[in-house]
Amino acid sequence: MMKKKILSLVLIALLAIGLAACGKSGGGQEGAGSGSAEGPKILKVAASFAYASLDVHKDSNGWYTSIYGMSEALFKMNANMGIDPWLAESADVDGTVWTIKLKDNAAFSNGNPVTADMVIRNLQRLAEVNSGYAYFAEYDMKADGDKTVIIDTKDPYPTLINDLTGSATGIVDLDATTDFDNDPICTGPFVIKNFQPEGDVEVAKNENYWGGDVALDGAIFYYMQTDDAKLLAMQNGEIDCYNSVSSAALAVYQQDPDKYKIVTIPGARLQFYILNVNTLDDSMREAINLIVDKDAIAAYLEGTVSPAVGPFNASAAYGKVTVPATDTAKAKELIEAAGYTMGADGFYEKDGQKLTVTVAYYQARSLDTIALLLKDQFKAVGIDTTFRQEEDPDSTYIQDGNFDLALYCMIADSSGDPLKFIKSTLEDDAYYDCGGYDNAQIQELIAQLKQETDTAKRAELANQIIQMAIDDNAFGYTGLFNKTTVLRPGVSGFAENIPFDFYGIDANTTIG
Amino acid sequence: MIVKILKKIASLIVILLILSFLVFGLMYLAPGDPAERKLSQQGIPISKEVLEAERAKMGLDRPFLVRYGEWLSGIVRGDFGSSYKDDMPVGPKLGAGLKNTFILAFSSLILALVIAFPLSVISAFRKNGVIDQIVRLLSFIGNSLPNFLISILLIYFFCIKLNLFPVIAKGNVQGLFLPVISLAIPMAGRFIRQMRAELLDQMKEDYVTGMQGRGVKQGYIVKNVLRNSIGHIFTIIALQIGSLMGGSVVIETIFRWPGIGKLVMDSITARDYPVILGFVIIIGVIYLVINQLSDVLHHILDPRTSL
Repeated sequence: MMKKKILSLVLIALLAIGLAACGKSGGGQEGAGSGSAEGPKILKVAASFAYASLDVHKDSNGWYTSIYGMSEALFKMNANMGIDPWLAESADVDGTVWTIKLKDNAAFSNGNPVTADMVIRNLQRLAEVNSGYAYFAEYDMKADGDKTVIIDTKDPYPTLINDLTGSATGIVDLDATTDFDNDPICTGPFVIKNFQPEGDVEVAKNENYWGGDVALDGAIFYYMQTDDAKLLAMQNGEIDCYNSVSSAALAVYQQDPDKYKIVTIPGARLQFYILNVNTLDDSMREAINLIVDKDAIAAYLEGTVSPAVGPFNASAAYGKVTVPATDTAKAKELIEAAGYTMGADGFYEKDGQKLTVTVAYYQARSLDTIALLLKDQFKAVGIDTTFRQEEDPDSTYIQDGNFDLALYCMIADSSGDPLKFIKSTLEDDAYYDCGGYDNAQIQELIAQLKQETDTAKRAELANQIIQMAIDDNAFGYTGLFNKTTVLRPGVSGFAENIPFDFYGIDANTTIG
Repeated sequence: MIVKILKKIASLIVILLILSFLVFGLMYLAPGDPAERKLSQQGIPISKEVLEAERAKMGLDRPFLVRYGEWLSGIVRGDFGSSYKDDMPVGPKLGAGLKNTFILAFSSLILALVIAFPLSVISAFRKNGVIDQIVRLLSFIGNSLPNFLISILLIYFFCIKLNLFPVIAKGNVQGLFLPVISLAIPMAGRFIRQMRAELLDQMKEDYVTGMQGRGVKQGYIVKNVLRNSIGHIFTIIALQIGSLMGGSVVIETIFRWPGIGKLVMDSITARDYPVILGFVIIIGVIYLVINQLSDVLHHILDPRTSL
């Protein structure tokens, strides 16, 4: 009797699970494939991040509304790190006064025109809800007619239009939008169709797009955090493209070039280290920079990064700096000139103390791997390494400065201008000025850079500043992450040639 | 009995108060600044001025006790506060994640029990036989395989090779199938070992030896052994439920199941304290209630045990 009962229980449970599993037929075929020639053209994308809100102005949501092709800013970064007009037609500056003209046909998805008054109210709201743009509240902004915005920054602010490329500056119809978190009315070629907070996002073609025809009928962004799942979904034909491809997945895709198109370009995310001038003298910092082999690091990271010279892409006008080549022999000379002698254990020592460098790092963006590679490279020369690993660098070693060499990763260039990174790392009392480096000449040049409006002169000033920091061995710029995108043949226009991460689909994105 | 239950509820409230204070204090002392995490989540450099403004806006510049007091008074009113990460209310966030994790956890629990219960009974009553050896080996393998490996293997075979399911699971019944199996396999492995051990202990009791000596039918002995073991088996299951609620994060991430585990892991990374605190309180309540219920049930099933 008991046996029968147990058997019945097992059978009922298995039947229930089987029925549940077969609740929807089709299995893998249901999710496979994109739009066909006959059906709607829907692009399927794997997204590594998902947010709880579509409020363009708040936090980093604008990155995603921009990637989803929903929101547009006044200006846009291009593939050459330059700035193109987007909703704006032009911008002119006279002293502290900027005159920005809007495109006549720029309009929201509901057909309402983008007016100067609406742009000003958007910037005012941005200043209110986003601490990073609070400075807009200090500017005098007024509309001159429907299509001209006048902004007086009071002090010279040459990078205003760079700031206006920021994804958080996307323009929203503040009057017509009733739900900023779930259904903002924007100007982009796509409108929200289905939004799951912190989940999948589905967009549909904006039938009223002011910029003309939209090639796709829609797109679905599947929130997928793991690299393995993305690889398997791509192999199974369930997604058409994604970026930030891992090196392991890249190796798989490269074996089948007929099925996968791979586009790799240098990105804007920088791996670098700060050398502590309070604990390392000039010659020791120079020796360290001569030991670090960036090519070997990039080779080890298998195509995910490119060796960096300076903090910015070498193709940018403000990326023209030079660094000495790796030279371990010269590094040894410098160490020995400082009074160190080689010990029996293969490490330099002085006064009975082993030459040791404390490397601070955190486990993200391959910095943990770099820390281990640095240890090997230092050991080969005769320097021992101790590690300080932190989960959160900003509240630990960036704050207390207890390191000899601190690894860090950040986007060095998010708006086609070098000032933000230079201010963050080299200006006196800056957040990342934690290595104790001080150079009065650099402060003067930063002051000039803040005022200079001529782009060529700005690049020249930036190059001078970065070159000084390199020559003084205050930093080491190890690598720039590549932006690697994998696409199914026929898919194009997923911002694969733009180094910035906050662009995705647009009116020209196609699935062939 | 009612008085004892009321006393248990009172002790539960005290435990939760201590727990919340401890968690709040630990998070206050832990390195990591939610404002900095929020501003730098895309890797863009931040300035000290912007960071200070954000800290003030988020209320992080106020004293510890003021923040704890405000949070506690909110909890009493049923308000879990707003997420530091995205300003969204914590209650609905946790509610949605909790519902999905409940579905995943209980489905896996049922499947694990369906597998483990009969196998552990057969294994115990056929101790050292061929079936017992096979079951023990399988339970050892099941218990040893990490969740993520089982998940990837299941995706590979069911989605890529057999094409029965999409890799991109939707939040529906079909999407539940593979994550449930991934969670159930190691759980069943653990259950088999624990239940078998419990049944074998019970079988060493004098009453079993007596029944065997009197030639009582095997089925009757099994029934008695099961009846006397059921209280302990409930405890084993109850303990597993608590760890299931927070322990399915890997499965939720791989299968894109929008559960609470993944939400909390993301919140820990972002130092999103209101979400973490809300989670701790809810899981604490669930864990304590289930354990108390298990005790009560154990007492009802076996009145010899104390409540």
